[in-house]
Amino acid sequence: MRILGVGNAAREHAIAEKLSMSRHEPKIYWVGDYLNPGIDKICKSTKGDYALADPTSPTKVLEWATKWRVDFVFIGPEEPNFHGVPDVLRKNGVPCIGATRSASMIEMSKAALRRLQWKHDLRGKLLFKTFATAEQARETLEKYSDTLTWMQNVALKPARQAGGRGVKVIDDRQLYLHDEKQKFKTSHFGWLENYMKSYSDIEDKILIEENVWGPEYTLQCFTDGRNVIGMPLVQDNKNAHEFDIGTETGGMGSISGPKKTLPFITEEEYQESLEIVKGIVRAIQATTGEDYMGIVAGQMMLTEVEGPTIIEMYSRLGDPEALNVLAMLDSDLVDICLAILSRNLKESDVKFNQKATVVKALAPKGYPAPRNLATGHPILADEDQILKNDARLFWASAQRMEDGEIVTLGSRALEILAQARDHPSASAIVERAISQVKFKDGWGAFHRSDIGTAELIERRTELASRARNLYRQRRAKGTLSRRRDWLPKVGIIDPAKTLREEIAGLGD
Amino acid sequence: MSIDDPIELVLAGDGKPLLHADKRESFRIFAQRLSESISNSKSTNDHIGAVSALLNETGGGFSFLALTKDQEVFCARDRMGVKPLEVGSIGFDMGILSSETGALDVVGANHTGSVKPGEVVLLDPFSISRKMLKTSRIAHCAFEYVYLARLDSLMENRSINDVRERIGEVIADESPPIDVQEAVVIGVPETAIPFAISYSRRKNIPMRMGFVRTGRHTRTALKTNQFERVAGVQLKLNPIKSSIRGKETILIDDSVVRGNTLKNTVLNLKRKGATKVHVRVGSPALIAGCPYGVEVPPRDELIGRNVSEEEIADIIGADSFAYISTEGLGRAIGIPGEKLCMGCFTGKYPEKIE
Repeated sequence: MRILGVGNAAREHAIAEKLSMSRHEPKIYWVGDYLNPGIDKICKSTKGDYALADPTSPTKVLEWATKWRVDFVFIGPEEPNFHGVPDVLRKNGVPCIGATRSASMIEMSKAALRRLQWKHDLRGKLLFKTFATAEQARETLEKYSDTLTWMQNVALKPARQAGGRGVKVIDDRQLYLHDEKQKFKTSHFGWLENYMKSYSDIEDKILIEENVWGPEYTLQCFTDGRNVIGMPLVQDNKNAHEFDIGTETGGMGSISGPKKTLPFITEEEYQESLEIVKGIVRAIQATTGEDYMGIVAGQMMLTEVEGPTIIEMYSRLGDPEALNVLAMLDSDLVDICLAILSRNLKESDVKFNQKATVVKALAPKGYPAPRNLATGHPILADEDQILKNDARLFWASAQRMEDGEIVTLGSRALEILAQARDHPSASAIVERAISQVKFKDGWGAFHRSDIGTAELIERRTELASRARNLYRQRRAKGTLSRRRDWLPKVGIIDPAKTLREEIAGLGD
Repeated sequence: MSIDDPIELVLAGDGKPLLHADKRESFRIFAQRLSESISNSKSTNDHIGAVSALLNETGGGFSFLALTKDQEVFCARDRMGVKPLEVGSIGFDMGILSSETGALDVVGANHTGSVKPGEVVLLDPFSISRKMLKTSRIAHCAFEYVYLARLDSLMENRSINDVRERIGEVIADESPPIDVQEAVVIGVPETAIPFAISYSRRKNIPMRMGFVRTGRHTRTALKTNQFERVAGVQLKLNPIKSSIRGKETILIDDSVVRGNTLKNTVLNLKRKGATKVHVRVGSPALIAGCPYGVEVPPRDELIGRNVSEEEIADIIGADSFAYISTEGLGRAIGIPGEKLCMGCFTGKYPEKIE
């Protein structure tokens, strides 16, 4: 059997490794735009191959798939989906695990996702508004900031998936720093407008969303279009630095296990979250008229207003969340892929072990910005020693040069994973391994030592219990999802009702 | 203190004569008429008579203090007694007048009595004379008792602190019973603190400090709109987490204008760990403006005029919400309702308002 993977980060390294462990003993082929040392090693050891090509180019990927006569393709990251790589492959008879261009709109356009949720009146949605220019955003916020409560406390986002960058959350409930917060909103609109100039594939540029609070978690699922099978929950840590400080990144590390839920999420909440993701899959299938085959994931939060709530959707595995679930997956990943492709995926095909799993990313100083500082540093990492210490290394934004040296590319350079009976033990194993990684030129590296510690889990647990208490009370009173305001000269308004009517008026 | 030519008269006032829509302009017209009345009177013995005649024909709820170029001090309260005016002595030979007894205390004066509703008092360098105006109905401003006056003041010989503690008791007795567990009472500083103290005592639910205010004392803040101050206070309050975490919280507030700051406060309390938030307000629903100078926002900006208690609870995200009743407030003040002005709570004023 021959399998082609697409993409070149730590997630793809983990996918390649899991595929290579199959009872089908497949040859692993890969397309990526740089040489990931880990994936390259797997391709070589399985007698496959690795081509340097643009993973977002449908013709390039098709060309290699055809040349290597692969049985199917597994897409790692989101951008190939956005560019329609799975569409072209399928049209040419190459089976593919990956969301089509129109299905991956649930990830690419945060505005399209919200419209879908409101149009189908699905659970777990947030109030939002989109803008084509910074000026429009500014005007609207000025007009409503003293009245509509939700517009005082907002998340400002690029309307297109942009690797987790550019998201700013502004809670403006106090008198202090009020002027500064107003000014910041205005200047960030400008930043977003500018940032979105590089994307011509979407009309909405700027998104504002009601700000919510609560613990976040990711629910990743396999789906063949008919069945959606949930994997264990993972909590990623987005902030760059310790204490949840710093820019939102693609993810600095994640925890999962030992059960299917997390220590701070209940079984009931897991089931509700799964129903919410299933609802989105049904809605997008109804819209696109095609089966969703591959991975779908909800990046979720337990919130006071909604209970389990969708923050964003992924049309692929998360990174680093992929590492957690693949380490916990006991079933054969190739069997699962074949079941998806034959539209015959069953719950019993997908089994997970019960180990606490911790992943931490290591990034060169400079990440996430200014990235040029984080680029070009040779890495010293003794993979065998790391393995001996019960940890595993996955290469991310790092490429092997011709002289064999592995050099950083500016993003998270590598991710280290360990499994143990509890998170603090797994975290300690990762810490030991990560301390052995150095940059040859003496450049600084950082990672989050707090991920997986008892202290951080306790903090998330406390946060979850506050949010849970409040949303359960709302549910008991029948006020879940309710957001009402009273405006002078207008009276009682229901922003959710207004939005629902607005979206219904838009048609398809 | 004295004034010299060309100044004929200086005036300090509280409340508002019904002479103009604007408070300052209203007092300016009044001061001018006062000055004319005094200079038109035939002899100095007639000054108090001239002032009384002017006051008998001037509507409104106000008290004032005026110093003339003849070195006479006139002071008076309107006939309804809407606004207070208190008298004190200081040293051997000086009199002092103030809206509040608290002000007399802090300068070391003795509080020696009150100017009565409809009374004019003239202090000249040699004597003090008093004269009563035509009688009228009495209508003391209820909002003074709820919010405006200082806690250390007396009005109509009533301790403001005692009145506010009675308000807390009335809220406790009046508001719908709630079955609370692990509860705590907190008051919005500073006005609602005495409400909270007595509510807690009456309900036998512990009271704890709920907030710390950051920055300047809001009463000294120079905001043109009294109610911007009321609203502004809550934006400066930081909940004390350990007081409310895991507790059903009974939040006692003094007044509600638009409800948006209260909404934020409720949300903050819940986010910081309050399991439920019940809001109790020590004044009745604010539904109308004040003709006597308290700057109430326009009627359509008052949530209490437009929205029921139950709906307010829903909008601000509270688990229950209740105001004190107007009758209850009268009881707490200890003055029969017909002798109070509750215009801002009822829309009914003690005299005809154009």
